[in-house]
Amino acid sequence: MAVAQTDIETLATADKPRGYWSGVGRRFLKDKVAVAAGCVAGGLILMAIFAPWVAPQDPFDGTMIRRLSPIGTEGYPLGADELGRDMLSRLIYGARLSLFMGVTPVLIAFVIGSAIGIAAGYAGGWVNSITMRVLDVFYAFPSVLLAIAISGALGAGILNGLLSLTVVFIPPIARVAESVTTAVRKLEYIEAARASGASAFTIVRAHVLGNVLGPIFVYATSLISVSMILAAGLSFLGLGVSPPNPEWGLMLNTLRNAIYVQPWLAALPGVMIFLTSISFNMLSDGLRSAMDIKQ
Amino acid sequence: MLIFTARRIAYTIPIMLGVSLVCFALVHISPGDPLVSILPPDASVELQEQLMAIYGFDRSYPEQFFRWLGRALQGDLGNSIATGRPVTSEVMNAVGNTLILAVTATIIGFTLGGLFGFVAGFFRDSWIDKLASTLAVVGVSVPHYWLGMVLVIIFSVELGWFPATGAGPGGSSQWAWDWEHMSHLVLPAVTMSVIPMGIVARTVRALVADILQQEFVTGLRAKGLLDRGVLAHVIKNAAPTALAVMGLQLGYLLGGSILIETVFSWPGTGFLLGQAIFQRDLPLLQGTILVLAMFFVILNLVVDVVQSALDPRLQRG
Amino acid sequence: MSDAILSAHNLVKHFNAGGWGAARKVVRAVDDVSFDVAPGETLGVVGESGCGKSTTARLLTHLLPSDRGEVRFRGRVAGTEVPLKEFRRHVQMVFQDSYASLNPRMTMLDAVAFGPTVHGVDQPEARRRAGALLERVGLDPARFGPRYPHEISGGQRQRVNIARALAFDPDVIVLDEAVSALDKSVEAQVLNLLTELRRERGLTYIFISHDLNVVRHISDRVMVMYLGEVVEIGPTADLYTAPRHPYTEALLAAMPSLDPDRRTMEAPLQGDPPNPIDPPPGCRFHTRCARAFGPCPGTAPVPALVGRRHLASCHLNTVKEAAE
Ligand SMILES: Nc1ncnc2c1ncn2[C@@H]1O[C@H](COP(=O)(O)OP(=O)(O)OP(=O)(O)O)[C@@H](O)[C@H]1O
Ligand code: SF4
Ligand SMILES: [Mg+2]
Repeated sequence: MAVAQTDIETLATADKPRGYWSGVGRRFLKDKVAVAAGCVAGGLILMAIFAPWVAPQDPFDGTMIRRLSPIGTEGYPLGADELGRDMLSRLIYGARLSLFMGVTPVLIAFVIGSAIGIAAGYAGGWVNSITMRVLDVFYAFPSVLLAIAISGALGAGILNGLLSLTVVFIPPIARVAESVTTAVRKLEYIEAARASGASAFTIVRAHVLGNVLGPIFVYATSLISVSMILAAGLSFLGLGVSPPNPEWGLMLNTLRNAIYVQPWLAALPGVMIFLTSISFNMLSDGLRSAMDIKQ
Repeated sequence: MLIFTARRIAYTIPIMLGVSLVCFALVHISPGDPLVSILPPDASVELQEQLMAIYGFDRSYPEQFFRWLGRALQGDLGNSIATGRPVTSEVMNAVGNTLILAVTATIIGFTLGGLFGFVAGFFRDSWIDKLASTLAVVGVSVPHYWLGMVLVIIFSVELGWFPATGAGPGGSSQWAWDWEHMSHLVLPAVTMSVIPMGIVARTVRALVADILQQEFVTGLRAKGLLDRGVLAHVIKNAAPTALAVMGLQLGYLLGGSILIETVFSWPGTGFLLGQAIFQRDLPLLQGTILVLAMFFVILNLVVDVVQSALDPRLQRG
Repeated sequence: MSDAILSAHNLVKHFNAGGWGAARKVVRAVDDVSFDVAPGETLGVVGESGCGKSTTARLLTHLLPSDRGEVRFRGRVAGTEVPLKEFRRHVQMVFQDSYASLNPRMTMLDAVAFGPTVHGVDQPEARRRAGALLERVGLDPARFGPRYPHEISGGQRQRVNIARALAFDPDVIVLDEAVSALDKSVEAQVLNLLTELRRERGLTYIFISHDLNVVRHISDRVMVMYLGEVVEIGPTADLYTAPRHPYTEALLAAMPSLDPDRRTMEAPLQGDPPNPIDPPPGCRFHTRCARAFGPCPGTAPVPALVGRRHLASCHLNTVKEAAE
């Protein structure tokens, strides 16, 4: 699961017409796959928000009589889990924690990583070198290993899971932010801004941010898919979310022993993870090509 | 070349130091007294202090770090809290199993992905090209631990073709190249091969498409000449990058195999790591991660050096 | 010369060109450059590509830190005696690439208004002034103010860049190839604008260009650079009619005539300039100089006064036996 590093400096230095965003919107809407992926992702988010209204039953309420009822049982369209709780409702409620655990680390890492990368890129020189060498240390760990190492050391829990995933995603985002910022910093309009006597902070705010945040953000969205898989993976290992909370990775874990009894029921939570991950992935791809960022 | 290699090695040393620092820190970010898991609950204060001194926990962090590093350099990673055996031997046993799995998966993923990418690059925008790019997206989007479960459901539970867990008959953890053992390898290796397959397919496709657009090749193609010369040219030019991708992927698989090994109870490093986490066996956790990360760093180094030997243009910068 | 508005004193800038320790290589982009500019004057700077013109401009405007030497504004050292922020209000710069020097995400009005806001002018006032300046450089603020860089032509963009520099109400503007990328007719218009503005506001220009015709047209004095050094500096008329350095002579001889039919592809000089990483010893020009003699390969010539405000660095002017 490589956190693929994309060369997206081109966007920051490329033509950015007015109506750039409307152009992006137009191109995006033409891309049927991306639009479909966007609808699925949006649907999943809505489902998470409105879970109490969408879910037919209480996701915590189970009876042992119904445990591992098969898919298609009356009143339990997707069956019931190992404690007799309605699968459909748990899958719907599961979207809440699963999406939260998958998306939040990327968002936090986007903020922190951008800040580090932009500061290093704009400062240049030895500040840049040192920052990048430190980040290289984190690059020396495959992302899965790093996430598991940190949350393994910290122990189970939502907060620890979020923390470890955030640490995993800061370095790649910072690296992209640094390369985009370094490319922008060399442009003459930044020199012109420096010739105005503006402070570094003002220049970054007025001239750098607007030109680098877009590409960094697109890169960050491409990480959501990885983050979803990793977050659920942590819970699958017993790190991250703990029972009885509905979360897809955790559900896969607890249903794992049931694969000989109700194999397809046990696989259901993974379908949700897959669906989320692939729709975010395609959404991000669509965004990238709509914004004309070359790979 | 020599200078490049030396520079690359010199650059790797601080990284390794940083990696060990992170591994060292792992134990110290973990909540609670580092001795909690070894101490009997009714341990006296004296015993506690005695143990603190024996393990060196009473010293300053830098001192602890360098003592730990010094021992690690001599191959001593401490003892597992759960089994009491040396971490080094536990990890080394497991590494072999993980390598078997990861190398097999890399070979499968690389062969299939390369083949797919090659064909897709040759016939741009054909159905096979579309299939290859779909495969690439699926490959990076699928939660591989779930894919493993699905394969178990299909091929073990429903069809009964392959065993679902373990690395050999009767929970054997000693690998052998016989049919019994190999049949255990099939499902986890196939599952794992999906991870690099998509990326390899995408890379090879781009490479092949790129090379085919070079003038000399387009000229030959226009004449309807797609002889072995062109094929050799394409392969020769695509090989360094493809190899580098393969090397890096192998590294990712080594480090990322934990979830798949857990699904299949494959007795490798990932499984070991899972146990370490479950039993809060911090020395084992730390040692396993250190070894895996070092593997990854060294593999990166080797890939860089080999790649630049194949393609000297890369030696600059 | 204490009446100079801007002066350079022994500026040195070497760029790293790879290597470590003893093997470290440097590009001697600017090597001990000194000159001064009087208020209201236009100093032209010419020289082959890579001779260090742009680097000099960036050192003058303190966009690059110099390795040695200093820049003085009205006799006071920039960066210490004159705080940088104040210095920047007085000394502005216009770059060659009109497109790259404008933020693609900023409207023209905001681009011009940005500078004054940095110096404490409030937003509405800065925008009002920016509108007036756009008007002054010949762009209707209602039409061009809300546009983005890619939506206007190169000549119009360069007008915006000039307006942006003017927004500081500066005393000196360094123009680095500011008209070089423009079509001939547009170039003439922008040059006229620059001439008008200079008269109107009493501006001082440092005008960098590789086009000797344009430099002759606009400059009061001209400075000739070769491999990071000033080889000759003097009043335009004197320098063009009676150059005192063989390099200037060669440049002028190769100068494209204004008659387009005679503007041939002739290179200004035979061969490329030597590598600035390892400049030749002695007179840096001796490898290409048709008149090189005895001392040239061994001893570097020093600047000598050869006329009123006219300096040249060539042994021909100082060594006796050179008088053939
Ligand atoms: N940032 C830099 N790093 C390394 N070398 C540089 C840098 N900037 C300029 N140089 C080198 O310094 C020398 C002088 O460059 P400079 O841009 O000042 O020349 P110039 O006279 O403006 O040329 P041109 O007419 O092409 O604009 C060149 O050899 C150039 O390669
Ligand atoms: S000093 Fe010698 S080499 Fe240099 S320009 Fe004068 S005559 Fe030519
Ligand atoms: Mg220049």
